[in-house]
Amino acid sequence: MKIIETRDLNKIYGSSGNQVHALRGIDLDVERGELVALIGPSGSGKSTLMSILGCLDVPTGGTYSLDGVQVEKLSGAELAAIRNEKIGFVFQQYNLLPRATIVRNVELPMLYAGVPRKERRQRALDLLERVGIPDKANTLPGALSGGQRQRVAIARALANRPALLLADEPTGALDSKTGQEVLALFRELHAQGNTVLLVTHDPAIAALAERRVEMRDGLLYDRQEQAA
Amino acid sequence: MKTSGAFRERLHEAWIELRGNPGRSFLQALGVMLGVASVLGGFSISDSQRQQAQNLFARLGGTDKLNVLPTDTVYQGTRSALSTANRGLSLEDALEGGKVPTAEAVNAVSVLRSARARVRSELADQEREVSGIGADYAALNGYDIEQGRGFSAHDFAAGAPVAVLGSEAASVFFPTGDIVGKTLRIGDVPVTVIGVFREKVFRFREAQGNIFAWRNRIVAVPSLLVAARMEGDDYHRLDRVTFRVPDLAAMADFSKELSSLVTANHRLQDDFRLDDVHKRLERQMSQSDVYNIVFMLSGVLALIGGGMVNVNIQLASLKERVREVGVKMAIGASGREIFKAFMTEAMLLTLLGSAAGYIVGIVFSWAITKSIGTPLSLSPLSFVWATLLAFLFGFLFALYPAAKASRQSPMEALRYE
Repeated sequence: MKIIETRDLNKIYGSSGNQVHALRGIDLDVERGELVALIGPSGSGKSTLMSILGCLDVPTGGTYSLDGVQVEKLSGAELAAIRNEKIGFVFQQYNLLPRATIVRNVELPMLYAGVPRKERRQRALDLLERVGIPDKANTLPGALSGGQRQRVAIARALANRPALLLADEPTGALDSKTGQEVLALFRELHAQGNTVLLVTHDPAIAALAERRVEMRDGLLYDRQEQAA
Repeated sequence: MKTSGAFRERLHEAWIELRGNPGRSFLQALGVMLGVASVLGGFSISDSQRQQAQNLFARLGGTDKLNVLPTDTVYQGTRSALSTANRGLSLEDALEGGKVPTAEAVNAVSVLRSARARVRSELADQEREVSGIGADYAALNGYDIEQGRGFSAHDFAAGAPVAVLGSEAASVFFPTGDIVGKTLRIGDVPVTVIGVFREKVFRFREAQGNIFAWRNRIVAVPSLLVAARMEGDDYHRLDRVTFRVPDLAAMADFSKELSSLVTANHRLQDDFRLDDVHKRLERQMSQSDVYNIVFMLSGVLALIGGGMVNVNIQLASLKERVREVGVKMAIGASGREIFKAFMTEAMLLTLLGSAAGYIVGIVFSWAITKSIGTPLSLSPLSFVWATLLAFLFGFLFALYPAAKASRQSPMEALRYE
């Protein structure tokens, strides 16, 4: 079953006369359980595609179905619900809420989803254990190292058992060793059956993925290769 | 958030946010606090003044009175020809006034005929105002008997030569303290002192003098005694007739009937006037309503000032928080949810600010009323007003930043550096 299915996705920024054609007809299919690396230089439309795939933005033209839901025409509130339910974001800068404890950060998506209090807490603790930091639940993010923060962010992304894990340069702010560890975690999650879309500009990281797609000038080039 | 615990969660979230920014939260709560405190303080000052005024009127014997006063012309102590020729205000007016159809509203009548006279005891000799009183005068003017007895109906009817003294008069004429049963000469008339009124004390502020001091100077005798024996007035004219009408609604009708009755009694001569004490005082008291408005306005202005500061702080802090808002949106918060979160935060701030404002306001009021020496008076209504105003302005001023935050595009908010 397809998690991502886009047809002729277009995105045009700006008004007439000063238009930027960021996406020029993207057709992308991602099957459940795939680990896909999206690579491309800056300005290639990579971030725009990620925003649209992550339901943070809507395309100007074309269709996009995420886990069986047509999302290109949805309203802001409906998109918020889709993001909450079907997508787990992992950012380069972790983007944890600095004043909330680790466990509360992980609970937050479940809070928006309306998961009851006890279940929420239990699931958050389970997730923290799963990403390898079981004993820091009540500390603030500031007390954690970069690698640990990224693990918390991954736990948060997994909170609502999303259909798609969307990671934007997840190792970009980490040193190579912790970066490798975080990547290993992604591979592990992939092995457990999660669908992962990894956005990166680093070919070495992209090489870990079984499938790489490359953006260039608003167009997508699919390279179906086996990971090394 | 969709569960029934959503509000609690939002509150928790807001609390985390406020606790995480103590300095900012303090500044924001400060405006609310000062606004609430100044509304409370202002109300308390005018309340305590009003309370004090009401105490005064209660001690004066109430404000529910209708006075009938003769309008005779007095020139250098002598009545004018017209008022001498006429019968003037008489005891009949008082008695018949108590019998007009609407008179069931009247529950007490008092009459007064005063004169200046030389008053002598064994130890003192003074020129004094002598009050010839009748009927319910003592009760209507808040006099209580401390020693001896008051006047009986017989004393009044016969114009008996008996006197009741105010506490000051008693101590002047009988400094040795043995008073009841002694004789006092008023003019040429020897009268027996049958009682002493309890001392009347009233101070607007603790440090001020007793504004009732003059009431303790009273030398009271039956009005008939003054009229008939001291002044030789066959018509027994009175200086004042007072009707107490507790039901203020009935006052207007009664005063109309009384007016036509007295006019008829006086051969249609318009030689008296009616004085509705309650109406007169109400007019005077309406000034203090102006103070209330001024105080409320100052509180409102403080709240508006604080509210504008809050908007600024919120908008400034929004810059820091754009990314945070973006993150929340990315993990599933709708614009509506962000809006609610900001509003909850503002309302929690208002709540905390109001609570602090209550404390500061009470201390304010206590300090001010203490310094001017009036009793502290804080009505629950002023708390209601202060809270209502604080929440009204807190809510209004929170709308703009909250709306602005909630309308961010999640993508742009996430990219915001």
